[in-house]
Amino acid sequence: MIPHIKTGTIPNLSLNRREFLASAVATAAAWPVVSAFARGSSKDKKDVVIDCHSHLSFRASPTDEGNEAIVLDAADKLGIDVICCSVLPKRPATVEGFQAANRVMAAAHKRHPDRFLGYCFVNPGCGAAALDEIRRCMDLPGFIGVKLYNEYFCTDPIVFPLVELTIELKVPILHHAGHSHYPVKEQPKMSDSGHLAELAKRYPEARLICGHVGGGGDWEWTIKALRHAKSVYLDTSGSVIDEAMIDMAVKVLTPDRLLFGCDMSWTAGIGKIRAAQLNAEDRRKILGGNMQRLLALRGRRA
Amino acid sequence: MIIDTNAYLGPYAFRQLRHNTVDGLLKLMDAKGIAKAWVSSAAAITHRNAQPANEEMAESVRDHRDRLIPLAVINPFYAGWQDDLTACKEQLGMKGLRLYPKWHNYSLTDKCCLDLVDAATALSMPVTIPIRAEDYRQRSWLVDVKDVALAEIVPLIKAKPRARFVLLNGAGYTGSPLGKKNNGLPANYWIEISRLSAVMGSEIEKLVETLGPDRVVFGTGMPFNAPDPSLVKIEVLQASQKDKDRICGQNAAALIA
Repeated sequence: MIPHIKTGTIPNLSLNRREFLASAVATAAAWPVVSAFARGSSKDKKDVVIDCHSHLSFRASPTDEGNEAIVLDAADKLGIDVICCSVLPKRPATVEGFQAANRVMAAAHKRHPDRFLGYCFVNPGCGAAALDEIRRCMDLPGFIGVKLYNEYFCTDPIVFPLVELTIELKVPILHHAGHSHYPVKEQPKMSDSGHLAELAKRYPEARLICGHVGGGGDWEWTIKALRHAKSVYLDTSGSVIDEAMIDMAVKVLTPDRLLFGCDMSWTAGIGKIRAAQLNAEDRRKILGGNMQRLLALRGRRA
Repeated sequence: MIIDTNAYLGPYAFRQLRHNTVDGLLKLMDAKGIAKAWVSSAAAITHRNAQPANEEMAESVRDHRDRLIPLAVINPFYAGWQDDLTACKEQLGMKGLRLYPKWHNYSLTDKCCLDLVDAATALSMPVTIPIRAEDYRQRSWLVDVKDVALAEIVPLIKAKPRARFVLLNGAGYTGSPLGKKNNGLPANYWIEISRLSAVMGSEIEKLVETLGPDRVVFGTGMPFNAPDPSLVKIEVLQASQKDKDRICGQNAAALIA
């Protein structure tokens, strides 16, 4: 069902969280109210909304605690229960840089264990130190996967040991990606969904998430290049809100391969899912069910 | 009543659009609770001679003028633009103007453009300026059309204080003189929300504070964009219902009476 507001009405600002989400679908009861990850919650886990792609890298507040509060405020307003984040260091990242970033992530999870889950950020070029950092983070509570950015194409052999480690640990890699029809000077080694499909062919056991279909670039190309890479998920995040984007992704990839995300474009993230022509079950899968299934492959250590 | 100041009809050169017919757009508006929309031809963005596309679009909305308000796409460097503008206003009943300075390759402060703005103002037509048609990063290999820089708009606004400008599909106003309080600019421009943030340092809230709730207008960019993100922005916006009513429709209604 498509969200429906009667002609002539203007959304009321006094909606509470339940009402806000209920306005998005006809099946209001299917929408989340509180985090099912919260201890003691009786909420059905199938209704949890998980943002699979976010960050705690910005500096809107002078303190990490302040930044976390700002993200949580946005998530609360939009009915997002769990936010899977990475902290991006200055790139190309050094060992010291990504270790410090991951410490910030660990602290955020410690302060808000029911809201923040973390990706361990590493630079594949750092070799053994990157592998050690992944092992270290995955022994900590709250870390659920690895975030890779644009230091190397994901098909570069330098990345393979990291992929093999994530297979061993049964954790996903969220990979920054985008496809442009011109050279992106700022990101000469940015992977696209074609690179991820190629990596998936080499490592079919790897759990790969292609980042932000709406992150800028030709999203139709991105979706089509993933059609036959059945083990690769696509996240819905990014600032681009083109009509039909999510519907095409559902049609080509099936709802089982889509993971809801915002990448800090909060209203874009929620709005895109509202706009998509999804039944209640598929909407639940995309909003959190698929991510829960992905995380359950390892077993959560929170 | 919700009025969308940023809507389009017809085909676009670089991707298929859905809901881009009159029936399709009206159905989408009904589903989303949008009462009226300012529409212009998406085809006219890339046509050399935009006037046939203006005529086609005006004809298509003829029986739906209560909901679809047609705007003219005019290129002031194209021969006969004065005739086209007059025809758009007087024969086709168009209520406003849309400018594409980057797609049509002119500067907003070129004399021709200033003349066009004067002519539109004399005809009581507001001038809308989409900062972009689509996200620049997804552009085709055929074109390299950049966004209109906010800095390029400032001198136009200064130069034509009697004109009324509506800035569409833009962001980053709070970092530009356009979004500052007491900026020395005439209060002759309005800002549409489709690319503005509504949470985490909400740009919409900041603009309501700096420019006032009378200078912010609702828009979606449909059917290029899904309309839902803009509706979500209004839902989460920290503003009084009175201010939301202004943003959602009253301000736009006053611009095109």
